[in-house]
Amino acid sequence: MTHAIFALPRPAPSVLPGFGLTMGLTLTWLSLIILIPLAGVFITSAGLGWTEFWRLASDARTVAALKLSFGTALIAAGLNVAFGLLVAWVLVRYSFPGKRLLDAAIDLPFALPTAVAGLAFTALYAPNGWLGSFLVPLGLKVAFTPLGIVVALVFIGLPFVVRTVQPVLADFDKELEEASATLGATRFQTIRRIVLPTLMPPLLTGFALAFARGVGEYGSVIFIAGNIPYVSEIAPLLIVIRLEEFNYAGATAVAAVMLVISFALLFVINLLQAWNRRRIGFAG
Amino acid sequence: MRGYQNEDAIHRAPVRIDVEELGKSYGSFAALNNVSLTVRPGELLALLGPSGSGKTTLLRAIAGLTATEEGTIRFDGEDATTLSLRARRVGFVFQQYALFRHMTVFDNVAFGLRVRPRGERPRAGEIARRVRRLLELVQLPGLETRFPSQLSGGQRQRVALARALAIEPNVLLLDEPFGALDAKVRKELRRWLREIHTETGLTTIFVTHDQEEALELADRVVIMRDGEIEQIGTPVEIYEEPATPYVCEFLGGVARFEVTATEGEARVLGSQLPLAEADETYSGPALAYVRGHEIEIVSRDIAEGVPALVRNVRPFGPAITVELSIEGHRDRIEISVPRELFEGGEIRIGQGVFVRATSARVFPSPKADARP
Amino acid sequence: MTPDPLAIEIARIPAGNPPPPRARFRTPLSEVLWVRFGLIAIAVAFLALMLALPLAAVFAEAFRRGVEPFLAALVEPDALSAVRLTLFVAAISVPANLLFGLVASWAIAKFQFRGKSFLITLIDLPFSVSPVISGLVYILLFGSYGFIGPWLIANGYQIVFAVPGIVLATIFVTFPFVARQLIPLMEQQGTAEEEAALSLGAGGLRTFWSVTLPNVKWALLYGVLLCNARAMGEFGAVSVVSGHIRGKTNTMPLHVEILYNEYNFVAAFAVATLLALLALVTLVLKSALEWRYGGELAASGRH
Repeated sequence: MTHAIFALPRPAPSVLPGFGLTMGLTLTWLSLIILIPLAGVFITSAGLGWTEFWRLASDARTVAALKLSFGTALIAAGLNVAFGLLVAWVLVRYSFPGKRLLDAAIDLPFALPTAVAGLAFTALYAPNGWLGSFLVPLGLKVAFTPLGIVVALVFIGLPFVVRTVQPVLADFDKELEEASATLGATRFQTIRRIVLPTLMPPLLTGFALAFARGVGEYGSVIFIAGNIPYVSEIAPLLIVIRLEEFNYAGATAVAAVMLVISFALLFVINLLQAWNRRRIGFAG
Repeated sequence: MRGYQNEDAIHRAPVRIDVEELGKSYGSFAALNNVSLTVRPGELLALLGPSGSGKTTLLRAIAGLTATEEGTIRFDGEDATTLSLRARRVGFVFQQYALFRHMTVFDNVAFGLRVRPRGERPRAGEIARRVRRLLELVQLPGLETRFPSQLSGGQRQRVALARALAIEPNVLLLDEPFGALDAKVRKELRRWLREIHTETGLTTIFVTHDQEEALELADRVVIMRDGEIEQIGTPVEIYEEPATPYVCEFLGGVARFEVTATEGEARVLGSQLPLAEADETYSGPALAYVRGHEIEIVSRDIAEGVPALVRNVRPFGPAITVELSIEGHRDRIEISVPRELFEGGEIRIGQGVFVRATSARVFPSPKADARP
Repeated sequence: MTPDPLAIEIARIPAGNPPPPRARFRTPLSEVLWVRFGLIAIAVAFLALMLALPLAAVFAEAFRRGVEPFLAALVEPDALSAVRLTLFVAAISVPANLLFGLVASWAIAKFQFRGKSFLITLIDLPFSVSPVISGLVYILLFGSYGFIGPWLIANGYQIVFAVPGIVLATIFVTFPFVARQLIPLMEQQGTAEEEAALSLGAGGLRTFWSVTLPNVKWALLYGVLLCNARAMGEFGAVSVVSGHIRGKTNTMPLHVEILYNEYNFVAAFAVATLLALLALVTLVLKSALEWRYGGELAASGRH
């Protein structure tokens, strides 16, 4: 088994030197830092035995946490698709003062440490915060509820959708829109039937990236979530709690379920994109 | 404007297009400057010119894709300048075809029918029938389920045309229709476009930078330069009577001589030749354009003629091609001579001969008659 | 490409062309004015709500009691030690990933072999793993109940709940940044220049140093910048392996959390402003790189 994984790939003939050395270093480093430690999760899970693993994974609190994590990530990624598309559209198609600043600011969620984002959103939406003091009297509680988790995850996932859609939209052949218009389509029909289908692959990619990130997100969520078991306790937090109880088996079971679902989703997305590429000769 | 119910594009009365004093500028660059033009109903018109001459801008203005600042465009006398694209109903074929890559051939052709307002939209069965008929017209039956990426360049071109025809357009506009194709396919499609035009009878305008294409295909040719029309005429008129030095040079295949005109006549390569009628009293510097077949080799004992040197001889084909350098002229000139002359041994590389122009187009020098 | 109709309209006005655009002509490629303004307004409002307001809140909360408590929170010994540890962790993990990124992108981008895209997927793996799991894996490996943890601890090596664990977890989460910036660019650049250098007699290292590296230097800097921002700001993974020992294994983000949980809000937000400033500096440098060297940064797109 080790042999199969670590056998050096053989390159097509090349005059460039150093393939063996650099590939060897790459695989070694990759294995030591990423692959072997990650394999530890599955080895530990396997060591539990199927019955024990299933008991831990189907524990009501675990299931609630997983549902919450995947559910809020799904909603947030969906919102990101809508708003990310809007923001990318505005940034690519229109010119207005401050556009460059806005464009640069899109990456703030990549650059801002998640804990700081979490603190900031909590401060904003707390009952005495700038936004909370308006919203709470209206009966809209954001901080310390699942709604707060969605807000934090929308923040975290925003750049993924904008940055995958933006270049595709910028390269979009305007003649396609002109062709549609000469054929009698209204502006709305052109956008819905010509532009949006072309943006589907990057939107899907952006959705998947935002979703994957949202499922695992920890720092920005735990401050605003309230962390009430069964209600607003996300799966990563449950892992931390199990670790603090020295319940390594419980922590590992949650982690294994998260990893399997995430990888399966990414795999499906990859398949979809490959299919799309084969069919119409391009992808996002 | 004709109703949408009129289902047969092919037998409708063709539309006349009047372009009146059209003006359009990008910043300080005038893309169209006071352009007026009438396109006769059912005619196949070529807009010919180098890039930047305004030909594509004119085509796009007629289509309604580009806004203009001045002037009017009329379809059958009706002002179309500010009509929406949908109301204009112009069939436009883009240079790179602009096929919708995520749609099959069928869906591409059907698109214009499917986006019609509900009341005017044909039923699904009717749409399918029309799409199939159009695909037969462009000789692509059976490719309905293919995607554009699975077609050759020539096939894409045909799909683009079928798609444009599907909306039963008032006029058909094509932007560099053969620009993206290789030489062989290009020739084939040229003949085919002519046939389609005959069959549909639509008023058709196409843009090209290839003078051979324009002269071979079009009923009339419009030669453009710097946002203005330089000459309009049939291919024969354009070829036989180029209106300006610019047209002569753009058509190519000519040798240019700087000569001096006296009272509407100039001496070109040993012959006394007239200027155009409008310039019959002109005296001063002039430009003479002579085509290769308008130069003949004269026998040495005739005094008139200009000395020349034979540089190269290509002795195949029905006529012999001879490359000459003529005294007082920098570029070499290719002329055709009858086979007898060559077989008589009079023409050999390195030999001196005398040549004479049989006809030429002579214009007052643009320097003397400066353009505004 | 056809020029943007809006840009043309704007460009035409200062050129002093007297005739105004026809009021009735609708350019086919743009939405009507009110739709355009509406969309811009929604986008700007959304971004203000999601990006500007949180950032403003951090600074507002930090200065809520004035400047003095703010400064006091920054010079407090535990805060200083958190800053030191954060810089130390970044100083190890960023160069480690820089080296790995160069080595990996040479092997992957400059050679053709089977399984290439699978290898790239593996390198990208940390992006789709929860940071908490990134920390967990090292506990499973090096913790006192882990695979080799007991043996290491018996021999006096403490990995998790100590600085080495923090460094490892940080390397894990920042693993792909440099490599994924370089690989597409180096693939697009091809191998012709390297082959030319080799044919002129340059050695392998020399070729890399004077041909390959200059071609990717801005992209490399870009990757390092993003890598560094994440390394200094990482919270989840580090939180799991750190053990939260004040003054010893607390990085800045962890210090922020501890202060917050102690209801010392001003101090928490004061330290948070330092991290926010780090983010702003990163954004400014990143944008400067994009505006100046956009073409040399990436093969296509920016992420």
